[in-house]
Amino acid sequence: MPEFDAIVVGAGPAGTTAAFAMARAGARALLLERGEWPGAKNMFGGMLVACETPERLLPGFWDDAPWERYVTRRVLTVVGPESSTSLKHESQRAGKEPYAGYTLYRPVFDRWYAERARDAGVTLLCDCMVEGLVVRDGQVRGVRVSGRADGVIEAPVVIAADGVVSLLAKEAGLHDGFKPGDLALGVRALFQLDEGELDRRLGLRGREGATYEFLGCTEGVRGGAFVYTQLDSLSVGVVVHLDALTERRIAPYDLLESFVGSAPVAPLLQGARLAEYSAHLLPEGGASMLPRRSAAGFLVAGDAGALCYTNGLTFEGMNLAMASGEMAAKAAVEAVGAGDVSAELLSAYDALLDDSFVMKDLKTWKRAGAFLKRDQMFALYPQLIEGLMESIYRSDGRPKQRIARLGLGVVRGRASWRQLLKDGIAAGRSYL
Amino acid sequence: MIIDAIFDLVSYRLHDQAHIVLDQSRCLQCDHHACAHSCPARCYEWSAERGRVEFAYEGCVECGTCLAVCDRGALDWHYPVGGFGVRFPR
Repeated sequence: MPEFDAIVVGAGPAGTTAAFAMARAGARALLLERGEWPGAKNMFGGMLVACETPERLLPGFWDDAPWERYVTRRVLTVVGPESSTSLKHESQRAGKEPYAGYTLYRPVFDRWYAERARDAGVTLLCDCMVEGLVVRDGQVRGVRVSGRADGVIEAPVVIAADGVVSLLAKEAGLHDGFKPGDLALGVRALFQLDEGELDRRLGLRGREGATYEFLGCTEGVRGGAFVYTQLDSLSVGVVVHLDALTERRIAPYDLLESFVGSAPVAPLLQGARLAEYSAHLLPEGGASMLPRRSAAGFLVAGDAGALCYTNGLTFEGMNLAMASGEMAAKAAVEAVGAGDVSAELLSAYDALLDDSFVMKDLKTWKRAGAFLKRDQMFALYPQLIEGLMESIYRSDGRPKQRIARLGLGVVRGRASWRQLLKDGIAAGRSYL
Repeated sequence: MIIDAIFDLVSYRLHDQAHIVLDQSRCLQCDHHACAHSCPARCYEWSAERGRVEFAYEGCVECGTCLAVCDRGALDWHYPVGGFGVRFPR
């Protein structure tokens, strides 16, 4: 009899949740992490929306978890060549418990979360690289590992939560490698700043935090940029569609450099100490990147299963990772309990995902994802918005015009009405 | 300029064996060298003089960009041995 009911690969939010949920259900989960500790390989410094999954596993989760700040301010800024225009949402509601979302630092958060899973009975093994799957008679039976442990570990179910470059999902035949058109590349720098100075500079109090998203500051490469507040540091980064980046032959760190020096960002970073740099891929093709997320003896959760999306306004992945991890655990526990881990029984996981907000949100915003493939959203429209806002605020002794006429003047010579109409209809179909 | 500093800020525990192996003969037919300008860690460099892509694994941040953009099958791509490679201390 195998020592474990399931092997979970990757101690990020998806994997730790899966192993944690299995332990809560009385099952024996082995959680393998290739880093020296959970979070050692992670660079994320963004926002996690408050979600119920970890609260179910560990009541009081959000009171104890090592988050950095709770987010009360969301700002979307469209950057033109010579100005920027922002939409700021500041919420008093978000400043009261239960908070709506948190910024966090994954090297700290992941480690803490995995330790709580270990407290609940999960066996955590770090320094452990899963080299590949053990497959017999068309069924995944275990994994081959290197590092601290060497050799083969078998269990009825393998849950791959090994991140966006999921070599395991590929090996299991769930997809044949994600393509540049489905991926975005994020590069990020961490700037340290005294906590009080950060509060003063951004007008934040106590543990209040803010997220800033920027559009139009990627030299026309499809994508955006961000500044997130941590307790005593700012995460500053650029995220671009990988296919657009390679077409334009621009280096990602050059985009980061110009963003860091740009008019809306440079003043925030004055005197801050550059402390860290990293890069990460994000799955953006969402719903269509994998036809299914289960196979015989095998489940895939989180980024590895492309459970991540953006519609340009919200950016969700960690919460979907946690939710999918919990559902993978449920399907695995039921299948192991029934003594049948066939593809048919484990497809209960796909059904759970389909019925949950995870796949529903991915499908809801599928069109928005496609809409954001339009190059003009990232160069032409920021310029049009800049032109319009400047004409609205201009007062130069000449008679003023109403907004429609101003808009007419701004658009003339820059874009065709046909194109505006087409984009407008597409925007309506994607968002309304 | 942050570019001059950022690459030195990344911390690694290096394994003496490369986790990614580039088959340079495959690069000869490649006309885009997408790896060279999209790798966020500057691990790839197109050398016009030598007519090939030069690669050094030591600075790799294990993001997978090269694997996604290389359409010539030139990469034997693995993660580093457990416990090795890039790490974000704290």
